[in-house]
Amino acid sequence: MTYYLKEITRIKNTCYANQGQLDTVIGTRRYIDHNYDNELNLQVLSHIRFTSKFHLLRLFKRYYGQTPKQYLIDKRLEESKTCLANGSSITEACFAVGFESPCSFSTLFKSKFGLTPTAYQKKQLSQSLRRDVF
Amino acid sequence: MKVKVVSIPVHDQEKALRFYTEKLGFVKKLDIPLSEDSRWLTVVSKEEQDGPEVLLEPSPLHFEPAKVYQAALFNAGIPYTQFNVDDVQKEYERLEKLGVEFSVKPTEMGTVKIAVFNDTCGNNIQLVQLL
Repeated sequence: MTYYLKEITRIKNTCYANQGQLDTVIGTRRYIDHNYDNELNLQVLSHIRFTSKFHLLRLFKRYYGQTPKQYLIDKRLEESKTCLANGSSITEACFAVGFESPCSFSTLFKSKFGLTPTAYQKKQLSQSLRRDVF
Repeated sequence: MKVKVVSIPVHDQEKALRFYTEKLGFVKKLDIPLSEDSRWLTVVSKEEQDGPEVLLEPSPLHFEPAKVYQAALFNAGIPYTQFNVDDVQKEYERLEKLGVEFSVKPTEMGTVKIAVFNDTCGNNIQLVQLL
């Protein structure tokens, strides 16, 4: 057995021994992945997993390193890139992925990807034109 | 500051290019001759061609400590780099059919599933799927 295999086994037994907690956070992440375009909050997520809001928040952060809300925002922003690349307007992309305000969507998009949704869309368009030309 | 290039030390750049493109499915991005036996050779993910480039760097050939470090990691089974995939099991089955050797078969580790393979260029590489 290699050193790495021994380490994997050790970490698994010490950090990931509680299968019930793992099932809760994995189930929550999957729920967000399938329902990110709906209105989601800690209340809804904890109700689905039959757990308290603060317990779920603590568990999710412990196992995924970010809060459910941060994960949801990242998921929505990633999905919005597909909408924008497919030609949706900023407002359409914003509502399609579950955000409620185009203005806060643009701000979040810029802070995560370093450019505005409009600039991102223009970049995608020019890249696809370049691919067609060459 | 942006993450644009990450390096993977390789024994043979041509062999590495074949493995990373033909088996893993990466796409060659830059290939610039630097000297008789080295090139600035990078590959990118097919699905993310504007994403970070992987530099296939022949450092073990030119710098002894790099060779020693790479060999020590390899012998301990420690992966040098990791790549994310949607489905580790599916990728494991695809690569195994192509003759790729795995030192860690698909294994759940808390909120991720991992597998580790030999890139035939001196490195263990880990595949990761978020569960």
